[in-house]
Amino acid sequence: MISATDLRLTFGKGTPLENPALRGMSLTVNQGEFVTVIGSNGAGKSTFLNALAGEVMVDSGQIIVDNLDVTRLPTHKRAARVARVFQDPLAGTCENLSIEENLALAIKRGQSRGLTSAVKKQYLGQFRESLATLKLGLENRLGDKMGLLSGGQRQAVSLLMASLTPSSILLLDEHTAALDPKTANFVLELTQQIIEEQKLTALMVTHSMKQALEVGSRTVMLHQGQVVFDIAGKDRDGLEVKDLLGLFEKQRGLEVDDDSLLLG
Amino acid sequence: MLSEIAFYGALETGLIYGLVAFGIYLSFRVLDFPDLTVDGSFPLGAAVAAMLIIEGWNPWLATGCAVLAGMAAGAVTAILNVKLNILNLLASILTMIALYSVNLRIMGRPNVALLTEETVLTPWYDLGLAFHQVPVLLFTLVAIVSLILLWRFMKSETGLAMRATGANARMARAQGIATGGMIILGVALSNGLVGLAGALFAQSQGAADVTMGVGVIVIGLASLIGGEAVITPSTVVRALLACVVGAIIYRLAIAFALNADVLGLQAQDLNLITAVLVTLAIVLPGVRTKIASRFTSKKA
Repeated sequence: MISATDLRLTFGKGTPLENPALRGMSLTVNQGEFVTVIGSNGAGKSTFLNALAGEVMVDSGQIIVDNLDVTRLPTHKRAARVARVFQDPLAGTCENLSIEENLALAIKRGQSRGLTSAVKKQYLGQFRESLATLKLGLENRLGDKMGLLSGGQRQAVSLLMASLTPSSILLLDEHTAALDPKTANFVLELTQQIIEEQKLTALMVTHSMKQALEVGSRTVMLHQGQVVFDIAGKDRDGLEVKDLLGLFEKQRGLEVDDDSLLLG
Repeated sequence: MLSEIAFYGALETGLIYGLVAFGIYLSFRVLDFPDLTVDGSFPLGAAVAAMLIIEGWNPWLATGCAVLAGMAAGAVTAILNVKLNILNLLASILTMIALYSVNLRIMGRPNVALLTEETVLTPWYDLGLAFHQVPVLLFTLVAIVSLILLWRFMKSETGLAMRATGANARMARAQGIATGGMIILGVALSNGLVGLAGALFAQSQGAADVTMGVGVIVIGLASLIGGEAVITPSTVVRALLACVVGAIIYRLAIAFALNADVLGLQAQDLNLITAVLVTLAIVLPGVRTKIASRFTSKKA
């Protein structure tokens, strides 16, 4: 279980560019939940994810991951519990390392690393098996450099890497946004499949309201660094984008002016 | 043409600079950390080894201490960068400058002669090889052992974590790698190798000198870049081989330039030749692709 309580974070404090990104953000994600997070630009989605991952430190508030207070822990000390896929397909993998080396890095996520060979023979079977589920033929290209793969292929491998070892939560940061529509669909389906099969707890940030409602079991909308609404179960079933917009306006008394949210 | 002695001399220094190139490969290529500490850690290794040998230490033990001293110097640079957030290049310059004083302190004077002392080379002269062949044999062995150890390390879990740190630090952190620690370890290892090179250089030249580090970084880079032009560094082992091959080619090129009377070059032109060679090595691959692309675009 992940719980974030009253997270506050202001960038550029005391400067003319002062920007309060999180203003009392609270969210609890139960085990096995797949939460989609939406919000307009500047709503604090990415900052929230970065705060959970440890890439940014919150000014105040508390983050608990499976009974461990991680609020002040740096990224690498949270990695055993927090898995992540980035928006940029090039960010989640190392292009000058081979596919098997990337997977070997991921299989030791959050564990100590010694001087034994990184790519062990006993891993190869598992690597081939997981790669085969992608149906991209990568299981026969273990020694190829990551840089030879397309953005979609690399994002698929990033997903695989994030799910290679157990985690308390999987963070997906608009991980299909930089891909073409067909590839984005493929990666999204793969995401659902992996989360379902491994019964993962996941938090997916998306820019598309449609995607937010179609995928996952719960939807949270952020606005100005806070949760404005949080729907799951029956309330969420059958909900459409226009209902979501209505909800948002009712909650805030505001018009949604971000076109990209409507178009998504 | 080169005399036999000049040829072996070029091999001997080339093999030593191959070790420097290993170190520079670690910092510049693996960690993407432009580290100039080497100009100070090379004479540091020489100074430590020379003083301990004069004290009567076993030369191998003295050389081991030189490696440790080099590692400490590298660790200082990396800690300045990682813990105190000083720009990597500047951090290395600070350490380099500081080492000049440290080296003078260690030696107590600007240079120390080792000509009459027992060095790591001494026992090898009994093998019956020609005088100028002995260092080449020993340094070849040292280079091979270092290459194999480095190669195994790069393929290990920790080594892979280090490569990921240099290539994609954000991804490395997300995989639970303490990137700061990896930078400290890597830059320390890099300067340990340079300290080893300095210690061997002092023993083969018969002296340690406080100025012997000037330009080591450029020579190491020249070796690295030149080697990469000859052997494409597509794998770790090829990249390491490129370091040694590049260093030897570089020394041979220098020896040839200085020995070819037609060019009229003299010993004092060494640094100028080095700078020209490095510039060519950096620029030429780019020019080659530019010409090639112009060719293909005309066809199309």
